[in-house]
Parts: sequence; C-alpha cells; structure tokens
Amino acid sequence: MTADAVRVQGLWKRFGEQVAVAGIDLALPAGKFIGLVGPNGAGKTTTLSMITGLLRPDQGSVEVVGHDVWRDPVEVKARIGVLPEGLRLFERLSGRELLAYSGRLRGLPGDEVDQRAGQLLDVLDLSGAQHKLVVDYSTGMRKKIGLAAALLHNPEVLFLDEPFEGVDPVSAQTIRGVLERYTASGATVVFSSHVMELVESLCDWVAVMAAGRIRAHGPLAEVRGGAPSLQSAFLELVGATGRDAGDSLDWLGGGTR
Amino acid sequence: MTTATDGTTTAADAPGPSSPLVSTFVRLKLALLRNGLRQSAGRRAAYLASVLFALAGAALLLLGLLALRDSTHAATVTVLATAVLAVGWAVMPLFFASGDETLDATRLVMLPLRPRPLVRALLVTSLVGIGPLFTLCFAVGSAVAVGRGAAGLLTGVVAVPLALLLCVALARAVASANIRLLSSRKGRDLAVLSGLLIAVGAQVVNFGAQRLSAPGGLAKLDPAAEVLRWLPPSASIGAVDSMSRGAYGTGLAQLALCGVVLAVLVAFWGRSLTRLMTAPDGSTLQAAEPSRDRGRGRWRGGGRGGAHGLSRLLPPGRTGAVMERSLRYIWRDPKTKAAWVTSLAIGLIVPLFNALQGTGSVYIACFASGMLGILMYNQFGQDTSAFWMVAMTISSAPDAYAELRARALALSLVTVPYAAFVVVVTVGVLGDWGRLAEVLGLSLALLGAMLATGAWASARFPYSIPQEGYKNVAPGQAGLAWISVFGGMVGAALLCTPVIALSIWLHVVGGWGELVLGVGALYGYGLVLAGLRLAAPRVADRLPEILSAVSRG
Ligand SMILES: Nc1ncnc2c1ncn2[C@@H]1O[C@H](COP(=O)(O)OP(=O)(O)OP(=O)(O)O)[C@@H](O)[C@H]1O
Ligand SMILES: [Mg+2]
Repeated sequence: MTADAVRVQGLWKRFGEQVAVAGIDLALPAGKFIGLVGPNGAGKTTTLSMITGLLRPDQGSVEVVGHDVWRDPVEVKARIGVLPEGLRLFERLSGRELLAYSGRLRGLPGDEVDQRAGQLLDVLDLSGAQHKLVVDYSTGMRKKIGLAAALLHNPEVLFLDEPFEGVDPVSAQTIRGVLERYTASGATVVFSSHVMELVESLCDWVAVMAAGRIRAHGPLAEVRGGAPSLQSAFLELVGATGRDAGDSLDWLGGGTR
Repeated sequence: MTTATDGTTTAADAPGPSSPLVSTFVRLKLALLRNGLRQSAGRRAAYLASVLFALAGAALLLLGLLALRDSTHAATVTVLATAVLAVGWAVMPLFFASGDETLDATRLVMLPLRPRPLVRALLVTSLVGIGPLFTLCFAVGSAVAVGRGAAGLLTGVVAVPLALLLCVALARAVASANIRLLSSRKGRDLAVLSGLLIAVGAQVVNFGAQRLSAPGGLAKLDPAAEVLRWLPPSASIGAVDSMSRGAYGTGLAQLALCGVVLAVLVAFWGRSLTRLMTAPDGSTLQAAEPSRDRGRGRWRGGGRGGAHGLSRLLPPGRTGAVMERSLRYIWRDPKTKAAWVTSLAIGLIVPLFNALQGTGSVYIACFASGMLGILMYNQFGQDTSAFWMVAMTISSAPDAYAELRARALALSLVTVPYAAFVVVVTVGVLGDWGRLAEVLGLSLALLGAMLATGAWASARFPYSIPQEGYKNVAPGQAGLAWISVFGGMVGAALLCTPVIALSIWLHVVGGWGELVLGVGALYGYGLVLAGLRLAAPRVADRLPEILSAVSRG
C-alpha cells in the first residue's frame, strides 16, 4: 500500500499559445480514493488524458503502477480503467452490447464478460435499459454505462473524469457504494470533480489544480488545513475569494428593463 | 414588431399591419446576407461566382427557351423542365440546409409574432435570392416560348408569378416539415440517408438523358408532359399553352388548380410553423418506445446478451467483437448505412447501366470493387471520438493488426460476394461469359488493393466525420479526406498493374483468362495482408494523434 499508483514528473501540454498543463509533479498513493479538483479550464481533463495515454504530453513522464505509460503501454493499459469526459461511446450499441464489445476487446472470455456485465448492469440500475441503444440514454445513464465499461476488466487503477456530473442523487449513492467497495479491496480511484462537498465526503487524498499547476496535494485534512471546509480552502487556494460581481450587474433583477 | 402583438388587427386580410413586418424581414435577410459575406473574402468570392453563374445560366436558358418558340415540342419541354425545377426546389432544403438563406423560423420562436403575418412575411422574404431570380428568368422564358396572342400574354402575366410562388412555397413547406422530422432521432437518421437519393438519382438522370439524346427521344416524353401539365407549378405553363391554343376552359382550370395548390402549400407551411414553434421536442419519448419493445422481445427469446445467431458464427475475442460491431453499425449508424448503401447502389448501377446500354465494357464491373473498397478508408473516423475505447485496448502492433484485420474481415464478408455478384451480372447482361474469370480476378485484385490502401490511409490520414448534418468531413479536414481517398485509389490502381499486365499479356497470347482469376484473388489477398502489416504499427504508434484527428466532429 506504500507504493504509488501514479507518478507524474514534469508534465507539460500546450495547445498553440494556451498552456493547459504547466509542469506537474505528482505522486498518487495506491489504494486511496483520490480527488482532483480545480476550476473550469484548470487542466484536469488534459492531465487525466495524458496519464491514461489518450493525449500525448509535450514533455514529462507518467508511470502507472510502476510502468511508463508511453514506453510500456502493454503493462499499463490492462491495469487501468478510464471514464473520459467529452468523448463519445459506441452509441449505436445497446448498453449490454457495449459492455460485451468492450470486455471482449480487453481479451476477457465471452462467458465471463456476459456474467460481469449482467451484474454491473444490475448494480448500476441499468438492467431495464440494457437493450436500449446508448444513443437514447440520458446523461446520467451514459456516465453509468461508461463506468461499467471501465470496471469490467477489474482494473487496478480507475480514472474517472467528472463521474458524478449529471447523475441523480440516488445513482450517485449507488456509484459511491460501488467505488468504495472497489477501493476497500486495495484498488485506486482517481476522479475529477467540481463538487467540493462530494470530494470532501468521499476522498482520502486530494490534489488541487489551477491554471495548469498543482496548488496543493496531500491527505484531505492536510489540504483543508485550518479552513472550515474544503470549499473555503479551495477558494483560497485558487485565489477566488472576494471576487464578487460588485456593481457590474446592477441592472440584473428588480423587475425593470 | 409591436403591430403583430396587438391582437385582432393582425388578421390576414389587413395589409397595413403586415407590411412593416414584411419590410423588416426583407431588411433582416439582406443584413444577414451582408454580414455573412463580410466574414470572409472566400465566401464573398463564392457568392459572387454563384450569382454570376446563375445569371449566366438564366440568360442561356432564356435564349434556349426563346429558340424553342417555334418548335413542336416547346410545350413538352417547358412543362417538363418546370417540373424538374420544382423538384429541385423541393429537395434543395433537404440537402443544402446550411446553404439555405431563408430565415430560419425556429430562430424566431422567441419573438411575439402571429403565424399568418409571419408566413406571409417569410414567403416574401424567400423571394429575395439567387434561386428565385433564376426561377423567374426561367418562368418568363417558358411563358414566352409557349405563349401566343393576347390571351397567352395575359395568362403569362398571372402564370409566371404563380409558378415562382409555388416553387418557393413548396420549398418552404418541405423545409419546415423536414425540420420537424429532424427534431427526432429516427427522423435525423432518415435524413442522413436521404443524401444517397442524390447519388442514385444522378445516375438515373444521367441514364435518362442518354436515352433522350438519341434521335426521336423528345417525342417519347409527350405522354409524361400530358400528365405534368396538370401538376402545379408545371400547370401554370400548361395554362399559358392552353390559352394560346384557344382552350380557355382548360387554361382556366389549370390556373385555378395552381391557385388552390399554392393556398394548400401555404396553409400547410403555416401549420407546420405553428406546431414547430409551440410543440415540445418529443424525440426521446418516441425513440424510447420501439426500442424498449424490441428489447423485451429479444430478451424473451432467450438471447443471452449479444450471444445471438451472428456472434456464435464469428470467431471469439477481439476479432469477433470488432466484426460484430462493424456489421451492426452498417445497419444502425445512419452515416455508415448511408455510405454502404451509396457504395452498394452506385457500385451496381454504374456497371449495370453501362452494360444495359450495350456499349459498355465488362471491365467496368471492377468499378464495384472500387466503390466498396472506399468503405475501408478512414475506419477510425467512422468511430468518431468513441475511438478512445479502441485506443485503450491497443497497446502493441499485434493488437492494432487484429483490430484492422477484423474490420477488413467484416467488410469482406459483404464486399467480396457483392463484387462477384456485380461482375456476374455485368458479364451476363453483356453476354460475354468468356471473360467472367478474368474480370472476377481483376475485381478481386482491385478490392484487395483498396482494402490494403484503405487500412494504411486509415492509420495515416484519419479525419473526423461530423455526426450531425449531411457533411462527411469536419471543417479544415477536407484536404485530408481528398488526399486519403484519391491518393488511395490511384495507389490501388497502381498496385493492380501486375494483374492488369498479366491480363493484357494473356489477351495477346490468347486464352488462359482463368489464370487471372487465381492470380488476382491471391494477389489481392496478399496485398490486404501486406497493407494491414504496414498499417498496424502506425496505428499503435499514433493512437493519441488518431484520436484527436477523429474527435473534431
Ligand atoms: N483540444 C484542445 N485544444 C485547445 N485547447 C484546449 C484543448 N483541450 C483543452 N484546452 C484548453 O486547455 C485548458 C485546460 O482544459 P481542461 O479541459 O483540461 O480543463 P478542465 O480542468 O478539465 O476544465 P473543466 O472543469 O471545465 O472540465 C483550457 O484552457 C482549455 O481551453
Ligand atoms: Mg474537464
């Protein structure tokens, strides 16, 4: 449990003039529930994409469970599960077909895939929609089927980009339950989110990102420090306290035009 | 715009309140046009060119129609041509939704406007543009070509505007019905398919035109014109003709018919607009019902997830999974379906029609291989950004090889028998059975070469296919798409030269055509294997680059 699940060194990514990730060094402990938080455009999605091998970094190295993502993809890809954000699924398959497809691509035996898929669909409350095409799923249902696909091959490290976005409270509770059981068995979950309350109640370990850099990282209590909540610690870290609309929107509201 | 909100005065018969709306809309349209052109010099040049082109075309048409004035077939030609033009107006909004310059009524939903004045204002606005100008020139020319005497002139004065309004109203009615269709997923899927209507239609028209250009061809059209002269907007030109020949009753009936149809079209359009602007989008509800039923049916049938007939026949592991998904997508994904249907249809129509004309060559049957082979191109672009799911499972060149091979296998399952079928049909129609084996060999070699270059181009030149709308290339990637497909086709043809050379040599020495079949099939197979071997390491190395190239849709 002392080994690091993910080790990132000097990670950079530029999109033209825009620096999305400006030199990240980070070591994420294994067996923990890890939250990656930051304001919009902080570079969370970009970082997770580079860690999971979906985006090539300009500079830097990434190791997952001791193997270099870019030099040793065979070892890494079999051990990680990913739920990216902003990328599609094969939406013209039904939920069940999508899981069957994804499991077989991973090289799992067909019977095993079907059995696991059935259980995941049950637990995630998707059995009723398993034969519906994913294109007809709601936002939350897509997140859940994506999560099922990411868990299907029982990865050691799970990367989830905003897994709770658009998910209703009941489903969120379900997902939580699944993930908590999963980390209890020694696996690692890394997820990004904007919802501080959620991160605070779920994570043992957090990293705060802003403008492409890590502002703070460590066990939850350490990052929260003396602040009353993670929310206020976060606002302070990203330098957003006291930024108010002021008079600039004084025409808004009040009934006149 | 306040005129429309203040209630009862907006009834259709009051011209006063609606005219400011009309002029506002016309000005709005001109402003939109100006702004659109201001954005880029390229667009300005394109617009100017299309105006000049349309004007030149209209002028030529006018001259042609005037020259027709003394021909015995003047009425037939103008009536038919009006019908063709009307069909053009009807299908235009389906295919050039983005090029449609009329105001989009759905954007006006938030404005407090009543449907009737709105319809009138939109109709008038629609008369501003290149298309209406062209149509006006055409209608005037047609009326002049068939009109005689005072009665003809008088009728023409009514008939020309009527024809123009009918065309515009037809286009608007179709467009608003189409928007309604487009707001459900099933409808959108259908609309994408309509793109291939053009492709197939063009071939049929081409065939028809060749028939007509034969001597005495025009006379064959007289019966069709007899029917069309009662169908608006052709009926308005028919009316001018009838009146000129003294058949006043017939002429008046045709004019009246046009008037009624115009009223019906405008009413239909108005109703669609109202519904469009007030009804919620019921797409998800509609889409959910049938699939749930279908799902339940399959479940009861005892099918354990995915383990139905097809998947039991396919090999296990990645190969089977990928093949199954590819084959399902042919039917379920509208873009893929459209590409397949186009390839299958054109691949058969071109060689078959050529053979039917009796002048064709058996070798044109290889065209089918070319058309079908195109489907192997841009494999990962067809996945859209869902390619990440594939990318996550490819960690070495052998993985990539298995992925590409499975896709090529799925394609071959349909294309090999189909290409053979086209060859047999073409050879059969031409009655040249002696060359069957030879053409089959060439066809298989070409198919193999297309699959090989397609696999390589998929790795080297991936590009995004936008999922909405009719376009098949994302902005800025058109060059890539052209390089990929055309470079690949030239490459495939070059790769086939040994087989072609063998075939020619056998002709010179005489006989042994069967040899080409064996050599062509083996050679094609070898090319596919080589192409996949070359492409696989490139795919494995370039996964992030491919993903970002195909995610722009
Ligand atoms: N493909 C791209 N091309 C250009 N710029 C990009 C691209 N992807 C991300 N960026 C830029 O990189 C920065 C970081 O984006 P990223 O998506 O990683 O942020 P994020 O932390 O995930 O934000 P959010 O919380 O809104 O999801 C942003 O400024 C964004 O505009
Ligand atoms: Mg993000």
